[in-house]
Amino acid sequence: MTEPATSTLAEATIARPGFFTSLRRDKKAVAGAVILALFVLAAIAAPLMAPYDPNDMEYDMIGAPDWLHPLGTDDLGRDLLSRLIYGARVSLFVGFATVGMALLAGVALGVAAGYYGGFIDSVIMRYIDLQWAFPNFIIAVYLVAVFGTGLSNVIVAIALAFIDDFARVARSMVLTIKQEQYIDAARTAGTSNARIMWRHVLPNALAPLIVLATVSVSNAILAEAGLSFLGLGVDASTPTWGLILAESRSFISRAWWLGLFPGLAIMLTVLSINFLGDALRDYLDVRETGDPVRA
Amino acid sequence: MSKYLLRRTLGAMVVMWAVATLVFFMLRAVPGDPFTAMVFDTGDPTAAEEMRRAFGFDQPVYVQYFKYLVQAVQGNLGTSIYGSRVPVATIIAESFPRTLSITVLAFLIAVTIAIPAGLISALYKYSALDHGVTIVAFLGLSMPDFWLAILLIIAFAAGLGWLPAIGYAPLSEGFGAWLSHLIMPAIAIGTPFAAIIARMVRSSMLEVLRTEYVQVASSKGLLRWQVLLQHAFPNALIPVITVMGIALALLMAGAVVVENVFAIKGLGRVLIQGILNRDYPVVQGAILIVSGIFVLSNLIVDMLYAAIDPRIRYE
Amino acid sequence: MTHPFDDPKLRADFDDAHDFDSRDPMFGLHRSELSGPVLGRRAVLRLLAASGVLTAGHFLTGSTPARAASGGHLRAAWAGGGEITTLDPARINQVLQFQISSQILGGLTHINSDLVAEGDLAQDWTVSDDGLEWTFNLREGVSFHNGDPFTAEDVLFTVERSRDPEKSIHSRVLSNVADVQKLGDHTVKFVLKAPQASFLVKTLERASGRAVTIVSRGALAAMGPAQYGLTPVGTGPFRCTFHELGQGVVLERNENYHRPDRPLLDKVTITPVLDPEPLAAAIEAGDVDLIGGANPSSELIDRFIANPELEVNMTADVGFQAVWVNPHRDPFRVENFDKPLEELMKEKGFKVRMALAKGLDRDRFIKQSEFGRGVPAYGSINPAMGFFFDGNLGEDSPQKFDLEAARQLLADAGYPNGEGFPTLKLLCPANLRRDAQVVAGIYKRTLGISIELVTKDITVALDDFLSMNFDLARIGSGGDFDPDDAIVDWMQTGSKFNGLKRDKETMAFGYWSNEEADALIDAQRLETDLEKRREMVQKANRLTSEKVACAFLFHPTSTLVYRKTVNYPAAARIPGLVELDQISFA
Repeated sequence: MTEPATSTLAEATIARPGFFTSLRRDKKAVAGAVILALFVLAAIAAPLMAPYDPNDMEYDMIGAPDWLHPLGTDDLGRDLLSRLIYGARVSLFVGFATVGMALLAGVALGVAAGYYGGFIDSVIMRYIDLQWAFPNFIIAVYLVAVFGTGLSNVIVAIALAFIDDFARVARSMVLTIKQEQYIDAARTAGTSNARIMWRHVLPNALAPLIVLATVSVSNAILAEAGLSFLGLGVDASTPTWGLILAESRSFISRAWWLGLFPGLAIMLTVLSINFLGDALRDYLDVRETGDPVRA
Repeated sequence: MSKYLLRRTLGAMVVMWAVATLVFFMLRAVPGDPFTAMVFDTGDPTAAEEMRRAFGFDQPVYVQYFKYLVQAVQGNLGTSIYGSRVPVATIIAESFPRTLSITVLAFLIAVTIAIPAGLISALYKYSALDHGVTIVAFLGLSMPDFWLAILLIIAFAAGLGWLPAIGYAPLSEGFGAWLSHLIMPAIAIGTPFAAIIARMVRSSMLEVLRTEYVQVASSKGLLRWQVLLQHAFPNALIPVITVMGIALALLMAGAVVVENVFAIKGLGRVLIQGILNRDYPVVQGAILIVSGIFVLSNLIVDMLYAAIDPRIRYE
Repeated sequence: MTHPFDDPKLRADFDDAHDFDSRDPMFGLHRSELSGPVLGRRAVLRLLAASGVLTAGHFLTGSTPARAASGGHLRAAWAGGGEITTLDPARINQVLQFQISSQILGGLTHINSDLVAEGDLAQDWTVSDDGLEWTFNLREGVSFHNGDPFTAEDVLFTVERSRDPEKSIHSRVLSNVADVQKLGDHTVKFVLKAPQASFLVKTLERASGRAVTIVSRGALAAMGPAQYGLTPVGTGPFRCTFHELGQGVVLERNENYHRPDRPLLDKVTITPVLDPEPLAAAIEAGDVDLIGGANPSSELIDRFIANPELEVNMTADVGFQAVWVNPHRDPFRVENFDKPLEELMKEKGFKVRMALAKGLDRDRFIKQSEFGRGVPAYGSINPAMGFFFDGNLGEDSPQKFDLEAARQLLADAGYPNGEGFPTLKLLCPANLRRDAQVVAGIYKRTLGISIELVTKDITVALDDFLSMNFDLARIGSGGDFDPDDAIVDWMQTGSKFNGLKRDKETMAFGYWSNEEADALIDAQRLETDLEKRREMVQKANRLTSEKVACAFLFHPTSTLVYRKTVNYPAAARIPGLVELDQISFA
C-alpha cells in the first residue's frame, strides 16, 4: 500500500533552540501543557482531591451544581466532580498505557521489518496491511467483544488496534536511515544488528514516533470514551469519562451539567494533547501526514 | 501500470481472504452462546440444539470454515441466526445505503468547509483568522463524536424542534426528509474529518507556497489568485487526497457510534448489534463488506495518487 | 356521559359482584362459568372484587361508551430495541415483538385488562369434567389478510409448526398437549396430558402464548419463512404492509376484521428507538404519538408527566425482578432447603442469605433505580395478576427490609458490620448495569459489604446465570401473565431457569430446590378450581419468600406514554401489550 512520503521526517536536529524555549512561544501549547498537568495531577492525587467517594450514592439525585457539589450530582446521587477526578485516572491511564504498548510492539515490528527486509518484511507488512484495512475503532470494538469488557481488555484492544500506525512509521524511518552512510560504516565496523538498531536507527526515528505517540494518546482516550459509550468499555465500578457520559445519556437534556462536564473533560484533555503534539511537530519539524490522525 | 494494477488487486484479494479467515476463527473464540440466549425465555434446550444444527454449528470448525469460504466466494453470506433468519445480503443491502448517505454527506460538508478554511488559513498565515481556524479545527478534532451528536439533538431536536431527533428517511421520501434526518449525524462525524482536512490543506499549501516554482510564478507578476489556483492548489491537494482516502475509514468508524445515537440502522449499527448478539453470519458478512470497502478505497486512492503525481513509481 | 351507577342494571351488577363471602369469592360459581367465550361476566367481576381491584371503570367496558372517532395515522416509537427482529410467532422472544404480532395475527384467546382470557378466534369453548379435553368452536367467516379462509386446518397447521423445534422456539409450550383433533371445519379439540389451569392464558393467548398464534399456511408457502417473519399474514386487525429491519413497520387497517368495531385507526407506523434521549425528543416534539415496546426508561417518566401535552398511563406490570444468591458458594452456602426454617436459620450460610434478603432496602432501590415507579417484591407472583397476588406478603415475609435484623444476622454469621466479608461479584447483563449499581450501593450502605459489578453481554450473562456461574446475579422475569410463568418457570427444582446448564456433578440443584414448593407448584398447575389454585399458588409463593429462593426486589410498572390527542380506552390497558386496534384519535 501507500508508502508515506518520509524523506524529510528524520531530520530532527540538535542544533535548534531547546524544546521548552520553543514551547513557551506557542500559547496554545502552554495552555495545553498547563491543563494536561492539572488533569494528570488530579488523576494521581485523586483520593486527596476528590471531595467525596465517587461511588457514594448518598446525595440528591440529579442535583444542580452548588457549593457542596461544584459540578452537581448524577442520576444516582453521586458527586460528579469526584467521579470526574477518579475518572481522570482511568481515562488517562488507558490513553498512556495503550500508546505505550502500541509503541513498543509497533516499533519492534516496524524496525524489524525495515531493517531486515525480505521475508520478515513481507510477513510483517502483510499483517500491517491487513490491519490497515480496518479503522482502528472497529478493531477495538471487535477485540473487546472477543476479550470481554474490563480495564485490561480495553487497553489491550485499543493498543492492538494502534500497532500498525507505529509499525508503519518506524519501518519507513528505518528504510530511510538505512541508506545513510554512518550505518554502512557501523556495519563494516562489525557492530551487531541489534546494536546498530538501538544505537543508530532508533534515535533517528524518534521524532516522528514521538509526534505519532502524542496524537495517539488523544485518539486512545477518544476510543475508550467511544467504547464505553457503546457499552463495550471499562466496567461500571470504575468510572471513566466515557462511561460517565454514557451513563448520564438520558438525563442530559434535563441536567446540562451531566452532559457538559464529562464531555468537556474529554475534550479539554484531547485538545491539550493535540496542542502539545502540534508544538512538538513544529519543533521536531515532522511533516503532517494522514497516518497519525487516523481514528 | 497494468502489472502494478494486477499486483495490487491480487494483494487486495489476499487481504480479504485473511480478513475473512481471521474474523471466522476469532468469532468462534468469543464467549457467549446466541442460541441459549434466544431460547432463554422459553427455556427449551432442544430448540437451541435444533437451531445449532440448522446453522451447522454442530459440525467441526474446519468444515464450517470451508463451507463459509465456498459460500462467501459464491456471494452467499448466509442468514442472520436471529428472528426470521433474514439473509445477511439483505441486511447489508438495506443498511449500506444509510451509512453511505451519512458518509457522503459528512464528506461533502467537511470538504466544503475545510478546503476554503485551510486555504484562508494558509494565505493569511499567523493572522487572527488563521488562529481562529486552527483553534476551531482543534476543537473539532477533540470533541467525541457521540457527544457532539447528543449536543446537536438537544439543541436542534429537543430544544428548537427544527430537525427530527432520530431515524432515517430514504431519498425516495424526498430530498428534504432525507437531508433533515441525516444532517445532524453527518455533522457529528464530519466535524473531526473537516478539522483534519483543514489542517492538511493549510500545511501542504504552506509547503507548496515555499517552493521555487510558485515563487517564480509570483515574481513573473501573475495575479495572486491565479498563482494560487493554477499552481499551488493542485500540488497542495496531493497529500490531502491521501487523507481523503482514509476518509471512508474514518467516517465509518464515526458512523458506528453515531448511528447508535440517532437510531439509524446502518452498517455500523448492524456490526455492533451483531457482535453484542453473537450473530456470527451477520458479523462475518458486515466485516467482509466493510473491509472490502476499505481495501477498494485504498486501491482507488493509490491509483488516483499515482495519476496525480507522476513522480510515484509503481514498484 | 352519565355516571355508571346511575344505570340500575350496572348498579345491580356491582352489588352482585360484592355480594359474597370475601374468603370465598367463587361461592355460587360453577365450572360452567369457567368455560368461555370469556370467563363469564359474573365470575370475572367476583374475581376482581375479591382481589380488591374492582372499580367503576370495569362497568363501563361492557356498556358501549361514546364511539370514538375512527381513522387517522398513528405514529408510534417502540422503545427498548434497535429493530423488531421478527414478527413470526414461532421465533418471537421479546415483548416488543409480540406486542406488534398480536395486532397482525389472531389466536384462539386473548387476555383482557384483568389478564383473563377471552375468545379471539375461538367463539366459545367447553372443558371436560376431568379438565383434559378442551373443545373450541371457531369463529366462522374469518379470513386471512391474503383472502384465505380461517378454518380448523389452520389451527392444526399452527400447532404442528410450533411443535417442531426446528421451526419454533416455543415447542415446550405445547409439551402438555397430547393431541389436537379437527372435529369439523370450525371445531377443534385439544387433548391435554394433564389438566392445566393456565391453558387459556399461557398456551392459547395470541400475544404472549405464541405457540397457537394462528399463522397463514398459504402466505408461509408463498413468501418463505424469512419474509413471513418480516411481514406476516394473519387474521388480526391490521395488515403488515411494510417492514424493514431497523427502519420500522407499517400496519394498515384490515377492512375485513372479524370485529366490525375494530380497528379504529387507518394506519400505524412503528419505529424502533433504542436510546431514551431521542425517544423523549421524538414524542415531545410530536414526531410520534405514542411510545410502545418496552417500558420507557423510568428516568423519563417524571419529565413526561410534567409535559402537559403528554398522557402517562401507568399500571402494575407483569414480572418480578430479583437478586439471585448462589447457594453453592460461600459465604451463603446452603445444602438443603428442605429443612424447617428454624433449623435453616441456625446455619451460617442461610443467615447470610437471609441478611442479604432483609438488608435489601427495596424502597430506596425503587426510588433510586426506578425513580419511584414500581412495587417492592417479596415473591414472584406480581400485582398485575390481581386475583393471585398476595397483598399481605409485604408485611409477613421475613424478607421485609429490616436493617437491624439484617445486620444482626450478618454479625451472627461472623461478619459484624460486614468485617471480613468477602468482596462479592454481582453478575448483570449490560442493560441492567445502572440497576445493579444501585443494588451494590445499597448493600454497601446497609450491610457494609463490597460488591463488584460483572457486566456482561446478554448472551454471556444468561449463559453464566444458567450455569450457576455467579456469586450474586441481577436478573428478572418479564412477561408473567399467569402464575405458571412465575412459579413453574422459576421456582421449582426443575424450572427452566433453575441452573439448567450447571455442572450437575458438583451441584445437585440450581439456585434453589424445595420439595414442598415443587409439590405445591405441580398441584396448582393441574387445579382448575380458581380458589383452590390461588391458595396453592400463594402458599408456594410464601415458601420461596421465607426460604429465600432469591432476594426478591421489585415488580415493575407498565408505562404507556402518548400524546393527549390519542384516546386509549381503559378497557384496552393490558400490562405489557399495546392494543393498537382499540386506539383512536380524540
